[in-house]
Amino acid sequence: MKHKLLPLSETMHYILLALREPLHGYAVMQKIEKMSNSTVILAAGTLYGAIENLNKHGWIEAVGNAGRRKIYMITTEGEEILKVEQERLKHILSLYESGDFNEEN
Amino acid sequence: MKKINMFFDIEKEEKWLNEQLEKGYRCKNISGFGVYTFQESNERYVVRLDYQDYLTKKKFQEYKAIYEDFGWAHIAGWRSGGIQYWQKQKGGQSEIFSDRQSKGNYYKRLMSYSFWFLMLGLFLYYLMYKDSGLYLTEGLWDMEGTLFWKALIFETPFVLLRSFPIFMVILFGTSFYKAYRKYSMYKDS
Repeated sequence: MKHKLLPLSETMHYILLALREPLHGYAVMQKIEKMSNSTVILAAGTLYGAIENLNKHGWIEAVGNAGRRKIYMITTEGEEILKVEQERLKHILSLYESGDFNEEN
Repeated sequence: MKKINMFFDIEKEEKWLNEQLEKGYRCKNISGFGVYTFQESNERYVVRLDYQDYLTKKKFQEYKAIYEDFGWAHIAGWRSGGIQYWQKQKGGQSEIFSDRQSKGNYYKRLMSYSFWFLMLGLFLYYLMYKDSGLYLTEGLWDMEGTLFWKALIFETPFVLLRSFPIFMVILFGTSFYKAYRKYSMYKDS
């Protein structure tokens, strides 16, 4: 069966992409605001829950502290999830671009 | 200014609190006995209620640190579990949940909380009534005149105490059902 977090929600997707560099929670929100041209502005509870969830599944991990803030980064497993998602999205994009739905198999 | 109120519905409580803040107050303190302390303020504030189960010391610190980074101040709430009260000046992001997934998970936490209290209520109900009715005095309903009334009036306070599990079942049954309705609204749709 498919993993329960797949396909990734927009929130999860952006967080994994943002955490390809080590960041603490609030910085993740700020980076995502920039990455999304201010269309995705995460709220505190959503970010906290998503970090908990991704950490629990081993897709991100704590790599240090900055004062009382925890710093997180994506894991190898998380990178693999992003690859799977990238393939899925590429396929969907190709359907947008080809404009026809000839079944190949 | 102090106000006393009692809520069995977390969303009604949040709504009531924000109605007070709209009148030009900010919330200073909330005690466990339903005493809400407000202070006049020229700034406008907004309150949001979250529900969390027991959190370890570290998790609770991290939880609070993230909310505080976003400008929320923790007014009340125990680490051992329960409602977490957050307040922030109006402006910018005034919600604590920004997507369906996290809002759904919030209702899921409320569901499991109500569920366990519902089970506790049912268990107490079973213990208390498995071999008796509400009134324990033998032959109470066969007594006559003043004796009957005296006995009835004497026993009624005890009956109210003994019917506590029934109230628990109704209360937590209702809140479980409400949380379930909301949860299924947000769950993958």
